[in-house]
Amino acid sequence: MDLDPRAAWAGLTRAERGVVGFVAALAALLVFGLLTGGLAPTYFLYLLGLVGMYVLLSFGLNAQWGYTGLINFSVAAFFGLGAYGTALLTADSSPIAGGFNPLVGLVVGLALAAVVAVVIGVPTLRLRADYLAIASLGLAEVVRLIVLNQREWTNGSAGLRGLPGFFEGWPVLATFPEAMPGLRIAVPFGATILLETPFWQALLNVGLVGVFVGASYLLLGRVHRSPWGRVLRTIRADEDLAEALGKDTYAFKMQSFVLGSVIMALAGVFYAHLNLFVSPGDFEPINTFYVWIAVILGGSGSNRGAMFGGFVVIAIREGTRFLNGAGFVPLDVAPLRLLVIGLLIVAVMRFRPQGVLPPQRELIWPGALGDADDAGTPRSAERGDPRE
Amino acid sequence: MPVLEYLANGLVFSSIIVLASIGLSLVYSIADFANFAHGDTMTVGAYAALATFGVVGGLGVSVLGLPLGFFVALAVGVVTAAVVAAATHKLVYESLDTDSIGLLITSIGVAFVYRALVQIRFGSDFTGFGIQVLRPIEALVPYGVRVTQHDVAIVVSAALLVGGLHLLLQHTDLGRKMRATADNPDLARVSGIRTARVKLWTWLIGAGLAGAGGVFLGLYNQLSPRMGFNILLVVFAAVILGGIGSVYGAMLGGFLIGMINQLTPLLSDVGIPIGIEYANAVAFVIMVAVLLVRPNGIAGEAAT
Repeated sequence: MDLDPRAAWAGLTRAERGVVGFVAALAALLVFGLLTGGLAPTYFLYLLGLVGMYVLLSFGLNAQWGYTGLINFSVAAFFGLGAYGTALLTADSSPIAGGFNPLVGLVVGLALAAVVAVVIGVPTLRLRADYLAIASLGLAEVVRLIVLNQREWTNGSAGLRGLPGFFEGWPVLATFPEAMPGLRIAVPFGATILLETPFWQALLNVGLVGVFVGASYLLLGRVHRSPWGRVLRTIRADEDLAEALGKDTYAFKMQSFVLGSVIMALAGVFYAHLNLFVSPGDFEPINTFYVWIAVILGGSGSNRGAMFGGFVVIAIREGTRFLNGAGFVPLDVAPLRLLVIGLLIVAVMRFRPQGVLPPQRELIWPGALGDADDAGTPRSAERGDPRE
Repeated sequence: MPVLEYLANGLVFSSIIVLASIGLSLVYSIADFANFAHGDTMTVGAYAALATFGVVGGLGVSVLGLPLGFFVALAVGVVTAAVVAAATHKLVYESLDTDSIGLLITSIGVAFVYRALVQIRFGSDFTGFGIQVLRPIEALVPYGVRVTQHDVAIVVSAALLVGGLHLLLQHTDLGRKMRATADNPDLARVSGIRTARVKLWTWLIGAGLAGAGGVFLGLYNQLSPRMGFNILLVVFAAVILGGIGSVYGAMLGGFLIGMINQLTPLLSDVGIPIGIEYANAVAFVIMVAVLLVRPNGIAGEAAT
């Protein structure tokens, strides 16, 4: 891999250049907002944390839909289970058992999601693809109704308050935000920026989600290239073929379903300790479709695409809020957002069903890529979509 | 136990579900995908009727406690839903080069667009037709059944529509072509049936019935932009229970799911702690159970 920027730019596909341009423009806009004081640094970090959360959710869905072709419409349910799993154990107002260390909450949240994934998977994963879509949406609704109505377990519609931050009880990190000095940064042509305890807290959260995202990315990239990942891709392309090759497709589908669900729950755990409040609203089906748009826009099966999709979803959520707040559009935020999401889904399926960044080099072992470069093979030759 | 009352309510609710599930099943069999925009097509029909009713209002004499203007509004709702769905078919679905899963995902986008437009135009609050709520029919109260003339109107109208569809399917040229296309599109095509035209008619009829279901749902409960999406899964449960692609199965499935939905209070009456807040959950669990045991539903054909 060379580090010459001009050569690196030339090595990108047109879509990749577009994405790089989009991300650069967005970053420039945000930096401009930060410098002029229009965007508080703490809020910026909060948004970054939400991006990380959507990236995690998209990774989870990618492991199910992108790798194996499972249409899971219960993303919100697993996200909510992760959030409630940790909230019920750590929150002050928990009706079951509050006050545990968030690490216990993390483990319980993930375990809860894994168990529910098996329970939902057993009846649904043998079904035809479109039945799985309907059944998983229905079962997600059942989970939502249970959380909403079993008040003695979940506090019902009031939700759970008083969650600790994720690092509560850790040696150094628990007191890191208070221990850091408050900074004043005077920007030459803008407002003075204050960096105080909430900023350091937010920075810590971003670091946490960064670790989650990085670990999931490495793990998923590794398993996707492994023999196990190859079976999943075969199932997606032709399930009968995988069966004919002697693979127990039901078992592989179940493993992929549980893996994806646990990653979604990880996003839920992060969200619970970011927001310090969870409610049944987190189970709303619209959250599922936010993640879907991130994955199909980014490119099903591509984790780079999922990251891009996570950014776009936050850009839509915050962009509609901004347009509305600035009075450009005389509409409510909710329907406007719904309209944008709906049009985007239709447009992607119409004009670019494979997504903006379909999986390419991530399917090739890095070693093999290096050999090919050494042999002087033109790089464009490797860039065809291996699924075609 | 007010079983009779539950049964009466079940009959009214079933009528709405039957109208919706027939349309969904027709489209499922001919266009070959699970149309997630079907619920929001109902919403479109309901709100088109609401807007019309605001204009024509209490026009003319009243039939079964409903002014004649309501039936004009109903017709407008049906036509609007049908035209909107057929236009979507022409503009969106037909231009896609994708499989049934891609169409399914697209239909979710379409559903969001419908709902967003309704919400932008009419707001997100609950609303109603503003027709005076009637007292229960006196003659039935001694039996513990409290139904209004409006409920009777819903059941009678649904029965007329379903009967009309039956006649259409069995005794007209278009009906035979529709059944042939649903059964085997390629064979229908080589037999000289213009399947594209039949498809368009299927969309018109299916969405029209959904529009009628939406109007009645608004009369039975209330209108809100989420009304269609909220009932969509119940309708899917009915279609799957009946067997996808079978119109008569959808009628039966709609009837059963509507009844089960309204009979849920019986569970707590006999001591099972499942309250009415779980009425929809019960329907979904039944749906999954049916998929497991008999994936082709009650009236479904042999495995495909």
